[in-house]
Amino acid sequence: MTLTEGLVAPWAEWQETYQDGQRLLEAGTYALTEGAVAAGLGVFAGYPITPATDIAEYMSKRLPQIDGFYLQAEDELAGMHMCAGASLGGQKVMTATSGPGFTLMHDAYGWAIVNEIPVVVVDAMRVGPVSGITGAPGQGEFYVSRYCSHGGNIETIVLSPNSVQETFWLTIDAFNLAERFRTVVTVLTDQVISDMSEDLFLPGDYGDLADIVVPRRHNLEMPFFPGNNSDIDLAPNVIGEGTGVCVSPYTHTEEGYDIEDMEAQWAQTFRLINKIRHHKEEILRYEAIGLEDAEVVAVAYGATSRTVKTAVEEARRQGVKAGFLRLISLWPFPDELLEMDLLYLVCELNYDGQLVREVMRAAPDKKKVHFMGKSGEMHTVAEVCEALQSVNKDQKMPEQPFIWTEVR
Amino acid sequence: MNKLAKKYLRPELVPTKACQGCAIGSIEHWLLQAIDESGLKLEDVIFGAGIGCVGRQTFATWGGDNFGATHGRALAVATGLKVARPDKQIMLVVGDGDASSIGASHLVHAARRNVGVTVICEDNMGYESTGGQFSPTTPEGYVTNSSPYGMVEQSFDPCDLVIAAGATFVAETTAVQWRQTVKIVKMALANDGFSFVHIRFPCVQNFGASALGSRDPLYNMEWIHDHTKGRTDDGEETDFAWTTGIKHDASNSRPEYSKVLRDLNTRVRADMDAPA
Repeated sequence: MTLTEGLVAPWAEWQETYQDGQRLLEAGTYALTEGAVAAGLGVFAGYPITPATDIAEYMSKRLPQIDGFYLQAEDELAGMHMCAGASLGGQKVMTATSGPGFTLMHDAYGWAIVNEIPVVVVDAMRVGPVSGITGAPGQGEFYVSRYCSHGGNIETIVLSPNSVQETFWLTIDAFNLAERFRTVVTVLTDQVISDMSEDLFLPGDYGDLADIVVPRRHNLEMPFFPGNNSDIDLAPNVIGEGTGVCVSPYTHTEEGYDIEDMEAQWAQTFRLINKIRHHKEEILRYEAIGLEDAEVVAVAYGATSRTVKTAVEEARRQGVKAGFLRLISLWPFPDELLEMDLLYLVCELNYDGQLVREVMRAAPDKKKVHFMGKSGEMHTVAEVCEALQSVNKDQKMPEQPFIWTEVR
Repeated sequence: MNKLAKKYLRPELVPTKACQGCAIGSIEHWLLQAIDESGLKLEDVIFGAGIGCVGRQTFATWGGDNFGATHGRALAVATGLKVARPDKQIMLVVGDGDASSIGASHLVHAARRNVGVTVICEDNMGYESTGGQFSPTTPEGYVTNSSPYGMVEQSFDPCDLVIAAGATFVAETTAVQWRQTVKIVKMALANDGFSFVHIRFPCVQNFGASALGSRDPLYNMEWIHDHTKGRTDDGEETDFAWTTGIKHDASNSRPEYSKVLRDLNTRVRADMDAPA
């Protein structure tokens, strides 16, 4: 696939269309709240956790103003189940958390995914494992967000923003994908992008966004769970309209009845996986710079991509043929963006190496994929610039303090 | 087919696959009787189920809209659903594991919030669909497949828990008390708030075999009946006794959760509209 230079995401166009509004200095958590409201959020249910706490606070203030509901759950397990319940009742829903709460949600993730319930989940990642350091950024849930339920047999949709402004648009987009694919969409943000404040444009009247917001519809007839079918844009099922729909944690028939039968298991799995795989192009979002002549491409997402992008620009000024690839849709993993036989430098906020493993798998030559992991603090422009030079010249990573380069 | 089953259930899904001698079917029949005598129609009620014997054998038998939750989380799902659909009656059938163990936290907080649901906790005193391990409601000292030397933990009555947490209607009954159960469930349905009905029933296959030494349904029923009286028919005192009947009735004494939230919205929006 030939990559397009610049931003490839629905909001590249939305930002041009919507110019009337207000400009604020606000945090990512604020942008996320407003993005959800603009998308038609009806119910937020969650449990406060740093650095997602501000989302809960903003929601508790904002939702009653628009006749929505803020539910403060007893834990994250409950929070996401409440969301799924409210979504089944016909509302657009969201929950927000950080790593420790994210792991507790997996019970509900599987339930919502198998029952094709639209839910938007925000994970503002911090350094771990477990509680780690609450105020330090991390990128440790790359794989966890993909494997957010046990048992296999699913595909997931995960998006990651890298600015306050993008958080607003991407949140609307996440709700749209949740509706269109009838599934859970995870917004994988981090402590930096959610906590920091920067320039934020908000449209003056969210009613004007009707052209870009996918409204909630109700499926009022069978089949409720079409097996062996990968269609998208099916209306979500609804409880309370007397359709007789059945939702459950079991492998189901098209009615939603529990069944222990391999044909039904295969038909269900076909649907859950292929509704996403067969429409991957509808989900692909990325940003690319300098790939027309690049010899070495820096790959990153979220907060990390900000310094990496500056470093690529600096390296180009210094004569290195460097390119920049920012992944916005992380899952399904965009293999098609990594078809070029180039050198890759993957920067992420963990020492174990997560994104880099997928890049190694997707790139033509995994020996040309290099890893630059940091833990708890951001990469600096100088560090990435030095690494780009070294990888490009000697095909190896330089020795740098507190940077891990080994992928085992 | 029975008249009530015809009116409210899915003919293709009854009878359930419950074991012979299990009371889940008769309890469901009594629930239907209470629903019918309360004048509720199929479209008025959303039926939710938990995991285990009760959830699995009752799920999707209801002719209207159904959900079966993950283990213990039926109350969390119902909390969100009630906020979205305050016009519906939500009846949940859950087991002792759902209510008093894995989902105990959701039970406490749904009671505290006074969420408008009727929880039917069908308690067979252990994890019977997984082969008969003890649960928090297994009587202390009784033998199960995970307490071969007798259950060493103190057991508890989830009624006490939800009363302390603020439930507005709480009652206890058993699978040998038909009329009392129907009467209690009707009262539970009439409470616009959190209602909890604890119904003990025998598991002849596991609890009966391990703890009581008999798979005879009548023997198991009698054992339950004796323990509601504290005395056997021969006049011998039982090792312990349950109190059945209405344990707490504060029906409609405080507003239901989704109404509290809607009232909040009305207040906030009125303040926004008021001139500064």
